[in-house]
Amino acid sequence: MNTSDFQALMTTLEMAALTTAILLVIGTPLAWYLAKMTSRFKVVIEAIVALPLVLPPTVLGFYLLIAFSPEHLPGQLWQQATGKQLAFSFSAIVIGSVLYSLPFVVQPLQKAFEQLGDSLVEAGALLGAGPIDRFFSIVLPLTKASFITAASLGFAHTVGEFGVILMIGGNIPGETRVLSIALFDHVEAFDYARAHLLAISLLIGSMVLLAAIYWLNLPRKKRLKRLPIDIEQGEPSND
Amino acid sequence: MTNKHVVNAIDAPETAKQANIAELDINIKVNYQQFTLAIDLSIPLTGITGIFGHSASGKSTLLRAIAGLEKSLLGSITLTNNALASNTLVNTEQGYYLKPEHRQVGLVFQNSRLFGHLSVFGNLEYAVKRCKNSQLNLNEIIELTELSNLLAHRVDELSGGQQQRVALARAILAEPKLLLLDEPLSALDQHSKSQLLKMMLTIQKRLNLPMLYVSHSLAELQQVCDNLLVLAKGKVVNFGNIHQVIHQFNRYKENDIIEHQTSLSLPIKAINAHHGLTTLVLNDKQDIYLASDEDFQQQTYLRCFILASDISISLTEPSNSSIVNHLLGTINAISHRDNSVLLTVQCGTQDFFVTISAFSQQRLSLSIKQPVYLQFKAGAVRTFIH
Repeated sequence: MNTSDFQALMTTLEMAALTTAILLVIGTPLAWYLAKMTSRFKVVIEAIVALPLVLPPTVLGFYLLIAFSPEHLPGQLWQQATGKQLAFSFSAIVIGSVLYSLPFVVQPLQKAFEQLGDSLVEAGALLGAGPIDRFFSIVLPLTKASFITAASLGFAHTVGEFGVILMIGGNIPGETRVLSIALFDHVEAFDYARAHLLAISLLIGSMVLLAAIYWLNLPRKKRLKRLPIDIEQGEPSND
Repeated sequence: MTNKHVVNAIDAPETAKQANIAELDINIKVNYQQFTLAIDLSIPLTGITGIFGHSASGKSTLLRAIAGLEKSLLGSITLTNNALASNTLVNTEQGYYLKPEHRQVGLVFQNSRLFGHLSVFGNLEYAVKRCKNSQLNLNEIIELTELSNLLAHRVDELSGGQQQRVALARAILAEPKLLLLDEPLSALDQHSKSQLLKMMLTIQKRLNLPMLYVSHSLAELQQVCDNLLVLAKGKVVNFGNIHQVIHQFNRYKENDIIEHQTSLSLPIKAINAHHGLTTLVLNDKQDIYLASDEDFQQQTYLRCFILASDISISLTEPSNSSIVNHLLGTINAISHRDNSVLLTVQCGTQDFFVTISAFSQQRLSLSIKQPVYLQFKAGAVRTFIH
């Protein structure tokens, strides 16, 4: 792997890590809200969150490109705030990735929160735990597996992104040139050896990550020591 | 229960304010599409207060409202402690709503709701850590709930009865001012039920912790409750001393709730080891005898009941009978049922309920105000000790 490919790898990992972190921060409350929501607008929000699953990435990329351009409000605000152009920047591909990978984080979390239900959270409240305390002491430990799944899927999906980044990021080395785009470049240049190297790395990397997720989601071994007890009758000594 | 059964509160326990004891003032409405709960009641918080009703009578909704889990309620709930300091839990007119975590009201649910990621000890510690100015001794509560041998266990390894004991201990360790119990025994076997009932009584007395105990089993409530609140279709049907409320059920024509009976709490006068009989004081002049049980030794009062069908009537004192209990009383009421007659016979201040056949009633030509002898075997006086 030469320096430019290594640089693309670092850009990819940085983008994916940052995207995953942002997704966990905004995806968790969004998933919680959706899990508790009973209004009929729930389906509308769910549909919006799920859109990137079915939409061609170029469609999302196209609209983001327009929005990020200095002629339009989001791009203008960004430029005023940071002094830099948003389109074709690292920030642009992170924002694009957040939107594009949103369902991969929100959906497993929403499902986990729905399955967990209110009963244990209510029990926590009656023991004097406030909402933040309840989230960290009850919800998070009991939905840990789903958080791992959500973070891994969000990360893996971001690493594998191509269309959105090509539309809004272009191909700037060290800024927006990620692995999938570097791979495309090598193929365009008929450099199949380097293309192979990147392709097989992405394939194995994704494979390992997914296998790790499924392994983590296996039923965990009993953590506490099992002692012989009479399950049906309580301790016989109490009779 | 139909609406014609609705009676006003009988002999409501003396108002809490006079007696200087804790009180829960409830004036709330909870509206659902198919169901409305409307309660306007002051509950004196002494001992264990039972809440009885069929499913969909509003018992659980009432507990959830007190605990702060019922968001769609209108009205107010105020908790006054025995120092007469009032603590408003909710007052929707003033836009005041105390969150459940600030109410200091504990709740033991039907399905214990233990935290699966924590051990038994972890569950107890969860409550202790969040309790401000904790006064209780953790070890004492562990001992009272007999959890010492289970502390290291995962909660999903426990039996239903063990889980409910953890839930009870956990709720107590949060040191609530009022403990609510929502059908805590309904999923348990008979042995665990009586074990947990005894524990509830011991804990109530030891910690002087008022409890509201919801159940659809009148027999369970009869064992531990001092007062009983009866709900039907979201409304208060009856509230008062538990024995009087149970006697009120006898008077309903269509009583499918409980067998006709006389329900009593009486002081123990003597336990005669020689005859195997225990004597209870009914009034200055009259005693009741029942078969002794070793458990009586630790008690001063005994809860018992006598089924109306276990008592017979005699016009003369049956002095040559093996039946040990014969009490002179006066017929207060005669109520005709299909082929039987329910008599209310007053002995001193205590009403007894007696079912006899219509044939016997005619043969003895019984009438109101007539003095009669009640007779029943020692074995007919049933207690709740298993």
